[in-house]
Amino acid sequence: MTDAAITIRALNKHFGDYHALRDIDLGVRQGETLVICGPSGSGKSTLIRCINGLEAYSSGVVEVLGLQVGDNTQILDRVRKRVGMVFQNFNLFPHMTVLENCVLPQIRALGRERGAARLEAMAQLTAMHVETHAGKYPDQISGGQQQRVALARALCLKPEIMLFDEPTSALDPEMISEVLDVIQDLARADMTIVCVTHEMGFARAVADRVILMAEGRIVEEGTPDQIFTNPQHPITRDFIGAIHS
Amino acid sequence: MAETMPDTLIGAMAPPVIRSGPAAWLRKHFFATWYDAVFSVLFAVLIVWVLQALLQWTVIDAIWRVENRDLCTREAGACWAVIESRGRLILFGLYPFDEQWRSTLACLAIIVTIALSCLPAFWSFKRLPALWIAGFGIFVLLMRGGFAGLPLVTSEQWGGLSLTLFIFSGVVVIGMPLAVLFALARRSSLPVIAKSFGFFIDIVRSLPLLALLFAAAVVVPLLLPDALAGNKLMRVVVAFAIFFAAYQAEIIRAGLQSIPNGQGEAAVALGMPYWSRVIDILLPQAFRNTLPSTINQAVITFKETSIVTIIGFFEVMASGNAAIGNGEWGNQYVEVYVFLALIYFVFVFGLSRYGAWLEQRMRLGHD
Ligand SMILES: Nc1ncnc2c1ncn2[C@@H]1O[C@H](COP(=O)(O)OP(=O)(O)OP(=O)(O)O)[C@@H](O)[C@H]1O
Ligand SMILES: [Mg+2]
Repeated sequence: MTDAAITIRALNKHFGDYHALRDIDLGVRQGETLVICGPSGSGKSTLIRCINGLEAYSSGVVEVLGLQVGDNTQILDRVRKRVGMVFQNFNLFPHMTVLENCVLPQIRALGRERGAARLEAMAQLTAMHVETHAGKYPDQISGGQQQRVALARALCLKPEIMLFDEPTSALDPEMISEVLDVIQDLARADMTIVCVTHEMGFARAVADRVILMAEGRIVEEGTPDQIFTNPQHPITRDFIGAIHS
Repeated sequence: MAETMPDTLIGAMAPPVIRSGPAAWLRKHFFATWYDAVFSVLFAVLIVWVLQALLQWTVIDAIWRVENRDLCTREAGACWAVIESRGRLILFGLYPFDEQWRSTLACLAIIVTIALSCLPAFWSFKRLPALWIAGFGIFVLLMRGGFAGLPLVTSEQWGGLSLTLFIFSGVVVIGMPLAVLFALARRSSLPVIAKSFGFFIDIVRSLPLLALLFAAAVVVPLLLPDALAGNKLMRVVVAFAIFFAAYQAEIIRAGLQSIPNGQGEAAVALGMPYWSRVIDILLPQAFRNTLPSTINQAVITFKETSIVTIIGFFEVMASGNAAIGNGEWGNQYVEVYVFLALIYFVFVFGLSRYGAWLEQRMRLGHD
């Protein structure tokens, strides 16, 4: 399991004049769980969005599962079918039931039959412990449940890599663990995971590696222990201190 | 909205003791202060007086049958005899008298088609087009005839209510997909497309509808060969549809803009293709967000259909004018207009109620 799942080299991203990502080099191995943290505006979301082509980059190389993420829409399509993503705000489709949220993408992205898609959807919803809400609409269930539905929806496509952008930041504190628990299960099952989060307990429990970003750069990289108990870089120290307090 | 008093005022003036029951309710809403009481009494008297006068005119003093038409004087009540005598002219226009049953059936076919397409069960890309092709097909076959012993009636002779409904539904059925197309094109990531459609929409919106319909009826046949120009009614409906689409496109665009970016992004991240993102994710939410404006646009369009009179079509309004125009019933124009107003009211009010029902249904989440 040492094949590279994601390889990023000399990645730069500009928003107009603003230099959001500066010379990022990063590799993620198959089955690895990588946690990204860092202060607001440091470019974490931008980086993770470059991996599945939600954001176009200015220069550099992004290679995912051997495919070059770039302008080629056919390749982008293939990448997106193999890379799942979960957002801070869930982004469930409000006009569809929970079940339909999980069924429709399978039909549209993979061309699956509706019957097979329903079976898969129910299996994933069950794995996320939200199968009893299949017939409800997203605004009828709690935030924690919505996020688990969003995860089930992504997993229905059988992705090889999962991207999480602050999956628990929009949740009430009592719902955070129910979401982190299912992500943890996923990590234990050897899914390749890139997760932006500030949940240190979670990072310690599941991360193989933590990177810390500031001002568009990766400023520190190491095991959770190294980063959280013995940070080297001054920005890391400030940041760890801030989320501890 | 207009009949409710501002809550703050009532709240401030209301007595501290809250009692229930009709008396307390009346007191709270109509007699909270002395000037409330004065206005309430004044309006009550006014309303009773108006209602009584209306009832007197429309029912009690009314003359109903053509036999009694000599009794129709200025002093008498409504002379509904005019409707008995001219009703068919109003409803069918110049359509041949003996064939008017066909117009009735065609009218019913369109009404049934409209009603069915209002049901969410029919909202699919297979059912809706199939339904409208069938609806328009039956309409045109019945109205036009020319087969199986049915005499041919060309569209110049179509008229009355069935023509109004045909124009209205034709405009909406052609105009709505066009509007979606215009809205998407205006949001295109290719600046050339976005700019040119924006320009086109703005031009159409700044032209008077009448000018557009005139151009379609009179100018287009001069420019195009006969085979391409089609018949006049078709051209007018298409021009009207483009006009409708220009306005509706802006409504849809506003609806698309109100959808959070995350919706489209989630769909992209899930690998859903462009057409599916538009059809499954964005458009349903855009329509849902703009339902009141969309219904409003349909209502305006229904009322505007009467403008086709000017280019020689006898829709229901023109037929009404014809019914009083020949002198015999010239004094009964009020009755005829009341009758016309009722016809419009049935459809427009139906549309508004439908809009309210849809909104309610969507608020409950059941799409
Ligand atoms: N679409 C955009 N246009 C212009 N600037 C942008 C855009 N998206 C992000 N930025 C800028 O890029 C920088 C990095 O943004 P990014 O969202 O990646 O930060 P982040 O680390 O995810 O922050 P947070 O913790 O607040 O989510 C920010 O300064 C932001 O203002
Ligand atoms: Mg972010």
